[in-house]
Amino acid sequence: MLISWISPEAIRLLGQGLAFTLALTVITSLSSMGVGIAFGVLRLAENAVLRHLAGIYITVNRNIPALVQIIFWAYAFPNLFPVELRQQLFFNNALVDWIGGSTGLLVPYYTVAASFALTLNTSAYLAEIFRAGVGTIAQEQVDAARTLGATKRNVLFQLLVPEGLRASFPAISTRLIHNMKNTALAALVSTPELFHNTLTSITRSFRAVDFLLLAAIIYLALAFSMSALLRWCERLLYGSLEPGGDGAEVQSDLQGVPVR
Amino acid sequence: MAAHLEFLLRQLPYLLFGYPGQRPGGLVLSILLAVLGVGLGLFVAIGLGSASQSRFRSVRWLTRLYIEIFRGLPLILLLLINYQVVGGGRFGIELSPWWAALISLTLFSSAYQAEIVRSGLQAVPRQLEDSARVIGSTPWQVYSQVKLRYAFRVMMPAFAGQAISLFKDTSVVVVIGVSDLMTVARSALGSDLTNSSYWVSLYIFVGVLYFVVAFGIAQIAERWERRLPSKDLVHSLANY
Repeated sequence: MLISWISPEAIRLLGQGLAFTLALTVITSLSSMGVGIAFGVLRLAENAVLRHLAGIYITVNRNIPALVQIIFWAYAFPNLFPVELRQQLFFNNALVDWIGGSTGLLVPYYTVAASFALTLNTSAYLAEIFRAGVGTIAQEQVDAARTLGATKRNVLFQLLVPEGLRASFPAISTRLIHNMKNTALAALVSTPELFHNTLTSITRSFRAVDFLLLAAIIYLALAFSMSALLRWCERLLYGSLEPGGDGAEVQSDLQGVPVR
Repeated sequence: MAAHLEFLLRQLPYLLFGYPGQRPGGLVLSILLAVLGVGLGLFVAIGLGSASQSRFRSVRWLTRLYIEIFRGLPLILLLLINYQVVGGGRFGIELSPWWAALISLTLFSSAYQAEIVRSGLQAVPRQLEDSARVIGSTPWQVYSQVKLRYAFRVMMPAFAGQAISLFKDTSVVVVIGVSDLMTVARSALGSDLTNSSYWVSLYIFVGVLYFVVAFGIAQIAERWERRLPSKDLVHSLANY
């Protein structure tokens, strides 16, 4: 048979890998969105200190490779602490045991650290993308809201955040798919996700070509479905984005104010 | 603290230039890989970007396929595929890790750059093209002298971003063992495990090295971009 090389063990490994890849993608996407928008908003703050701190966070995390961040938080960071404290904090406590028990991870800390590092990396990009999206909102629209008596908080949460998200949604989607591909880097800190388990299957069966191509197909399928899912979300949230669709009409209905 | 500094100082030449006999390596090799990847990727991308505007549906479809495949695969997987599947001797091709890395980075980068070229070409004002045609340029002249030139100016910031992004992505070649910065960092620890806290200082230092180069390129690109004549000027010239 053509696919006789797919043993039950390989199916188990790849299934587990796919599950971890999906879980990592979902968790880091959600956390990056949250953290990213928070830092994007801070970047717009009136307080100069907050604004600069957010700027530093974004600049630092965007300019260091995700792989360096993952290895730093997983392998290097615990070494800051003396041996006993290190064991207690990272490798041997109730929380870590619980995560290990529920996911079957041998060293849960490494995977947690990889998720944390991916969140740092992706959230910094998302913060910058979101800020650029807010930048496309016309000043007139903000002024109009203020004139109508909206408080600064209202302007932020009912105008800047939703409209900024809307404008930056395509770029955010691209970055989230990039983040999905970056979860493969967690394999280097022994997280049993798809790429890692593909390598494991190869060392057990010596079928490098078959397993690498299979992994490629799975990753491509993941990227396509994620892209389709995000486009579906975009349509669901914002309606048709074609020129002359909902978005354009709402704006032109306001009045003849030129919208940049 | 002094021990850490001494450790870093001892590793510094290797981190920057690689081990003797394996030079160029370290940071220099990472930069070299990124520059070559983006440079070669540009040629592929101009071809792809132009093909994506083709009259023929099949050509458009093939470029789409190329772009989607190389943008959809994690670079780390692409590296292994090129190293073990394509260059594993199975098809009569033996690729050294260095070539496998360069080819993978080029394929990966070209897919992203093709998108940039495509949107750059789409940004060329119709009037500019028409004016060039009217004064008697051949389609090829219009394309190479007018469209591509104009598009390049629009594309510059995106290319700078892609170059920085690819430079950071070169860290992934550690998986096939090219002696780049990340690989040298790993072997630096392999040779000195007397103090495991060196991990922290070493990876912070490696992070700083990547940061300095990536941030530096970004600043230079920004300054350069400001000095270029504004594209609005070209636009207004095209309109009047």
